Amino acid sequence: MPRLAKRLTLHLGAALLALLATAAAASTLDVVKQRGSLLCGVGQGLPGFSDRDAAGKWSGFDVDFCRAVAAAIFDDPNKVTYIPLNAAERFDALHAGKIDLLSRNSSWTFDREASLGLLFAAVTYHDGQGFMALRKPEITSALELDKASICVQKGTTSELNLADYFRANSMTYTLHAYDTIAEVIKALEGGACDVFSTDQSGLYAERGNLSQPNAAIILPDIISKEPLGPVVRADDVAWFNIVKWVAFALINAEELGIKSSNIDEALASTKPDARRFTGAEGAFGAKLGLDNAWAIRAVKEVGNYSEIFERNIGSGSKLAIPRGLNQLWSAGGILYAPPLR
Amino acid sequence: MLASFTRFLPQSRPALIALAAILWCAGSAPAGAQAAPESAMRETLAIGEEPGRVSTDEVVIDDGPYKRQLVFFRTNEAPGTFIIQTSEHFLYVVLGNNRALRYGIGVGRQGFQWSGLVKIVKMAEWPDWTPPPEMIQRQPYLPRFMAGGPGNPLGARAMYLGGTVYRIHGTNQPETIGENISSGCFRLANGDVVDLYSHASVGTKVIIRQAPTL
Repeated sequence: MPRLAKRLTLHLGAALLALLATAAAASTLDVVKQRGSLLCGVGQGLPGFSDRDAAGKWSGFDVDFCRAVAAAIFDDPNKVTYIPLNAAERFDALHAGKIDLLSRNSSWTFDREASLGLLFAAVTYHDGQGFMALRKPEITSALELDKASICVQKGTTSELNLADYFRANSMTYTLHAYDTIAEVIKALEGGACDVFSTDQSGLYAERGNLSQPNAAIILPDIISKEPLGPVVRADDVAWFNIVKWVAFALINAEELGIKSSNIDEALASTKPDARRFTGAEGAFGAKLGLDNAWAIRAVKEVGNYSEIFERNIGSGSKLAIPRGLNQLWSAGGILYAPPLR
Repeated sequence: MLASFTRFLPQSRPALIALAAILWCAGSAPAGAQAAPESAMRETLAIGEEPGRVSTDEVVIDDGPYKRQLVFFRTNEAPGTFIIQTSEHFLYVVLGNNRALRYGIGVGRQGFQWSGLVKIVKMAEWPDWTPPPEMIQRQPYLPRFMAGGPGNPLGARAMYLGGTVYRIHGTNQPETIGENISSGCFRLANGDVVDLYSHASVGTKVIIRQAPTL
């Protein structure tokens, strides 16, 4: 009996401590508001995703997500401090509180959530390994690559994915692995291999470096899952929800037909889902600790998902990546956001 | 957009500027065809048809997003179905295995606001053009009849969409692909419409999707 009491006391004490700790840690939203700026971890320079120009101005698909979160919180997309991070330091920086949000082409994997104390808020870009061939119009599918010679960069997961894919589809191939991407491109252009394989976003970026970009085709197939999205610490669910629902709001805006150029029309809309989005109905922003114009503000300042995509990496950019998997679920892709209601 | 096309406007015929595109599509328009309100027409019909301007069946869009290309496309629709996403200016031919052939199209800004399912009921190569009486009245200089051929505004092929006055057709103005120009029809460059025609047959399902409205 005394032992049980002692154990109970211990448990209660631990629970109380945990509660106190939670109460003591200021919420990320409060910290961000007090600071007057969102600390956003981004890439160190990846064309279309996070770019810094000569004047120090950041732009890109991942950068625009930071701007959208800032617009939702502050009504000012420029209240962001960008912290460029390399692949090795990005998660530590988030964990150590050096950034509020990581928006840097990071793949959502089991291990990163289960072991690192981090949460992926959403998938903003479905990437995956693909194939680029110099114009061979007869190739329309990766399933037609039997006996192909394939160039990859050494030491990447690309090699393993290739082995799995070809084995699963009863095909054989010859592998040519090079240390650098530049060598891979040279091999492809020199005819040493039929196709180059890496993540599809990388293929589109490298296509621009070919001597004849138009001579290259990128197959629509994706043979691996690389879901990229914003990441937050796992200790603040309210903040996690803000980041997650900003991502969903951008996608829902596209689906509802709300874009930066028709904000006034959206504000005047009588459609219930548009009214919830603009804050005319439902007080959804308040439930996130924001005001009710949070979602429409993000779209007004940064654009909806389609605008962000096309401007940075899609048809309005040098990369010219087709929407593909990143098209809305209702238009041929798998982009799907839960409803705002 | 308007500015960039002024060079195509016939200088000596200013009346052409005002009236146009629904008549592209309405060669044999039944009474009560869905016409856009006159005010809307004045605003949108910035480019006149140019009968006689030659565009052969070899003209294709060969660069950019409107180039004919194989794309990733998930759908529950059967292979062979045409899906038109008007706001994207794309027409997809469903191929199965998460694939579609995608063509760039020109669409109407006003007029075809209907979405849903239609079927191809008739197909024609190098269709003749018979401007309807309303059009002759407004543009008396237009020919009463124009035999099919490279100078015909309807282009190399036409696929008639059942139950409507609309068609998927070619054009002798390939620079209008990707624009909201006609008042309802879906137009492709002649080389692309010839390719699309080879995927079509009488009875092909055509699904038309519009941008969401606020």
